[in-house]
Amino acid sequence: MRTEEAKFILAAFRPGGADAGDPAFSEALHMAVEDPVLGAWFTQSRAHDSVVSGKLGEIQPPVGLRDAILAGARVGKASRPRSASWRWAAGLAVAAGLAVALLSFRSTVHPQSATATLASFAIDDMLNAKHGSSGAPAGTLVSELQSDGAKMPDADQIDFEKLRDTGCRTLNFAGHDLLEVCFARGGAEYHFYVTRRDGPLGDAVASGPSFIAQAGGAAAVWSDARFDYAVASTAGVAALRKLL
Amino acid sequence: MNNEAFAQLVDANYAALYRFALSLARNASDAGDLVQQTFFIWATKGHGLRELSKAKSWLFTTLYREFLRGRRRDSRSTFLEDLPPGEKDPVAEDVDRVSKIDSASVMVALQSVDETFRAPLTLFYIEDMSYQEIAATLEVPIGTVMSRLSRGKAQLRLAVEGAATAGSKVLPFPGNTKGNRAL
Repeated sequence: MRTEEAKFILAAFRPGGADAGDPAFSEALHMAVEDPVLGAWFTQSRAHDSVVSGKLGEIQPPVGLRDAILAGARVGKASRPRSASWRWAAGLAVAAGLAVALLSFRSTVHPQSATATLASFAIDDMLNAKHGSSGAPAGTLVSELQSDGAKMPDADQIDFEKLRDTGCRTLNFAGHDLLEVCFARGGAEYHFYVTRRDGPLGDAVASGPSFIAQAGGAAAVWSDARFDYAVASTAGVAALRKLL
Repeated sequence: MNNEAFAQLVDANYAALYRFALSLARNASDAGDLVQQTFFIWATKGHGLRELSKAKSWLFTTLYREFLRGRRRDSRSTFLEDLPPGEKDPVAEDVDRVSKIDSASVMVALQSVDETFRAPLTLFYIEDMSYQEIAATLEVPIGTVMSRLSRGKAQLRLAVEGAATAGSKVLPFPGNTKGNRAL
């Protein structure tokens, strides 16, 4: 075995020594013992690997990722991916099911399940429902939302009654109005949903934005003193983050 | 799998998966999406896996597949033949250098390594995977893994050297006029 071959093999040797018993390394390891130049190279290489490994291990995931994973999985279990041919009908069924379920768990709803429920509803509606079939565009709000860099509106900017009259669609969400405003930005389409805080989810939706991705789309869900909000898109979580 | 078991699976693996995703995707948002999507797939499909001991390997393989799937949509492939050699043997200064820079800079250096080499390197460094485990996770031959580790390490050393050099540069004060030099 030539020195270069030994180096090639020893590059795969883990710095902690876990591969010491692997026969694939035995000849190269023996050479490193016999050849002081190769031995020095191997020592430096392992030391370098140990430091790199330690440094990379210090990287921590962002706060909130764990909760988003758990919430997203709950949504996933509730609504599996479906074939496109019956998406629309299935979406209606899911929406109806959610509405019935919401009526029954109104008093015991938890923040994570409420957030996941609203996200699931928004994503299902976005993927499966027919949009823009009734009502006129919500004029000013749509124009603002379509501007690059514009942020999603808060309670001060929402006139619920007026929006209902001029919004894209009004959905029945467990007997309560859920308004939808559709807008496009940067070539992507977004569906913004808003419902009153005294609606089916009560005050259970968390205030800070939660991002939930599932097959086919993603949603951001948040709330303020008066409303629960969701915005759904097929453009992914990164695109949604830019809206908030 | 019940919710508690799923939460345990998440707790045991999501941080390492995030580091792997961060090295591949090169930004925190996309890395978070990849991890979330991986667990979503587990929740909808992977919970049928009979051997829970293989869950970790399944998660890493799935995340890598998801990453490649996303990459195929909008990028061209990089072939090994096209890659610069980037050969560099480790010297004592390299160890000293990498010790002095912070973990985020090491991650940035890793992210600058060619994508082909980055995945096996990350599994080697972060997950302490053997070359056989890396081959199984990335679904490539063992010889390919060894080659990619060898060449990837050489590229990483160069990248770390660059990061350390950049970090030690003395930047001129904005008010300095031409001819003045910050020391």
